[in-house]
Amino acid sequence: MTTFNLPDLGEGLAEAEIVRWHVSVGDVVTVDQPMLAVETAKAVVEVPAPFSGVVKTLHGQPGDLIATGAPLIEFEGDTRSPPATKLPTRAPATRGADGADGADGTERAPLHAQTADSGTVVGSMPTTETELIETALAGGRPSHAGNGASSTTSGQRLRAAPAARALAKKLGLDLTSIRGSGRGGVIVVDDVIAKVPTTAQTPGFTGGEKLRGLRRAMAQSMSLARDNVVNCTLFDDADLHNWREGQDFTTRLLRAIAAGCKAEPALNAWYDGNTQSRRLMTRIDVGMAVDTPEGLIVPVIRDIAGHSTSELRDEIDRVKRAAHARTLTPEDLRDVTFLLSNFGMIAGRYATPVVVPPAVAILGSGRLSRDVVAARDGVEVHLRTPLSLTFDHRCVTGGEAARFMAAVLRDLEKDN
Amino acid sequence: MAKVTMIEAINRAHAWEMRHDPAVVVLGEDVGVNGGVFRATAGLQEQFGKDRVQDTPLAEGMIAGMAVGMATQGLRPIAEIQFMGFIYPALDQIANHMARMRNRTRGRLTCPVVMRMPHGGGIHAPEHHSESLEALLAHHAGLRVVCPSSPARAYGLLLAAIREPDPVIFLEPARLYRLVKQEIADDGQALPLDVCYRLREGSDVTLVSWGAMVTETLRAAENLERDGVSCEVLDLATLSPIDHETILESVAKTGRLVIVHEAPRNCGIGAEIAATVAERGLYDLHAPVKRVTGYDTIIPLSRLEHDYIPTTARIMDAVRETLAQ
Repeated sequence: MTTFNLPDLGEGLAEAEIVRWHVSVGDVVTVDQPMLAVETAKAVVEVPAPFSGVVKTLHGQPGDLIATGAPLIEFEGDTRSPPATKLPTRAPATRGADGADGADGTERAPLHAQTADSGTVVGSMPTTETELIETALAGGRPSHAGNGASSTTSGQRLRAAPAARALAKKLGLDLTSIRGSGRGGVIVVDDVIAKVPTTAQTPGFTGGEKLRGLRRAMAQSMSLARDNVVNCTLFDDADLHNWREGQDFTTRLLRAIAAGCKAEPALNAWYDGNTQSRRLMTRIDVGMAVDTPEGLIVPVIRDIAGHSTSELRDEIDRVKRAAHARTLTPEDLRDVTFLLSNFGMIAGRYATPVVVPPAVAILGSGRLSRDVVAARDGVEVHLRTPLSLTFDHRCVTGGEAARFMAAVLRDLEKDN
Repeated sequence: MAKVTMIEAINRAHAWEMRHDPAVVVLGEDVGVNGGVFRATAGLQEQFGKDRVQDTPLAEGMIAGMAVGMATQGLRPIAEIQFMGFIYPALDQIANHMARMRNRTRGRLTCPVVMRMPHGGGIHAPEHHSESLEALLAHHAGLRVVCPSSPARAYGLLLAAIREPDPVIFLEPARLYRLVKQEIADDGQALPLDVCYRLREGSDVTLVSWGAMVTETLRAAENLERDGVSCEVLDLATLSPIDHETILESVAKTGRLVIVHEAPRNCGIGAEIAATVAERGLYDLHAPVKRVTGYDTIIPLSRLEHDYIPTTARIMDAVRETLAQ
């Protein structure tokens, strides 16, 4: 058995703390193999095996303080070389942390010829068996290497001011599609701005009057309709030749709308584009466009299918008066399920009326006129009214709209 | 060809040049009998004698001063400062004499000195043994500052440094001294100074690093490649003067730059690179330049030093942040 004592680690210190053991009892160690790490007041030092042998006893656990010269490891049997009393890799110490040339810095022991070299007197040198394979191109540039083209070609270079890059990213514009006007072709902020699509950029002016009330409401609801509805308009003419005397044109229109809705309930509905949900309405509440000096107003005639002609007429008269007197209540304007625009009382034959959501259809009636028509036995002159049906094609099919129109025409063409 | 560690490569560069140029002498603490605390000069005194490999007292100012005297009188001294943290007493001789001898004498005298010293931490060493002070030296006109990151570059750049007619501060990343082996021809072939070395070609981001941090930087680049990120890695190698052209060309290609150094951030060499890219390459940038550096505090002792030294993970985070812009 051979005992190996903690050597003087070359720093003139009295003791060291065991950091960790690299070997266990029974291990076969070879000379210079690291056996444990100890920490002195100055550094963590690896202690190599002084000779080859089998470990019999380890003195101390990690965290224990071992005095210099105290037993550290016992080896079984004889060892090839006598136990060292000094660290084999003993080397001159470096100076202490205070930089003073203490006694520890004055010793100069020659390197032990037979022992391995830990490569340092302080700390520990990380060592691996890894072989470094690298290609190091001096200058890093093709011109230095002389190997011709690389991926750096000036043609691909896109130079842009950082603010221009940021703006282009914000606007979702592709910088490669922008021509730089800055020095050397640099893309500057103005180049990006010039590429912004010119939507909604109308020339401004001063001295305008701010829209208020009905006109402002119209601007808003029409913009909303424009932004949301997919308008499709169908035109036809209703032949009123067979009408008896004293027919009320507007109530006949309402009755025809009711007939149309009965034939195609899809046109008496609400549609929510955000949720893509449709609600078919059972009652037909027609919003009637009323032209007033202040602007367009659309009061509602409730349940047109559930009222008599005279009741409808009374209601029409009431809402028209109220519209002009501006005495309509919010209740009179709410929850329209179908829209009617009787612009023909003024002028105009056909139009492309605008559907205002959530309603999905609007019927426009144009100016009544006496038209030359081809009758069965020759040319005749009939009283007719042009009709324009706009529907929201997101939720109303062309077939539904046409059948609606057909039902409207059938009803309008009845004699009373 | 032999596979050698960086410390062996440095040793062989000394030996080659001493065999071929009798003016080359070595001086420093423990460089002779002991062969240097890291064994950089092992065997040189036996081979070339005590006149050419001289042990000095522990007096860095004297070592640098001796080197100035030797150099102006026709020798080519290689002086070792045992750790970079010990350089302060030598700064007077280095800054006030070595760096300006050519200027002072209007070119009549030059100082072909190499000041070698271990650089950086990561070896569990005590205080004053882990410093990265390259910026301190790079700030002085008249000094060239070089820092290899592989055995081959240690060999080739040290030979170039010895052959330079002007002083070179040669920083040796202590952590890399024995970390890996590399084949070198040991044929006396120097490598060019004042240029970057491109270690990896890439198209998404340029990573510039030097010394021991090149290891972490390359590892980060390898990891990122698995995520489809193509990193170009440049080893700065000569820290002063900086090869800005190569960096600018790389940034023009990738549009993104991450600088990695172990030294503190404040007024570090990374700041100089970032500033130059801002001045000359701003319009090529797709994202702000990022730096991954040590912190602006004293590098901690062994148990905490790895919290200070930039890690592969920190480098990868910085690259990803840059790419997210």
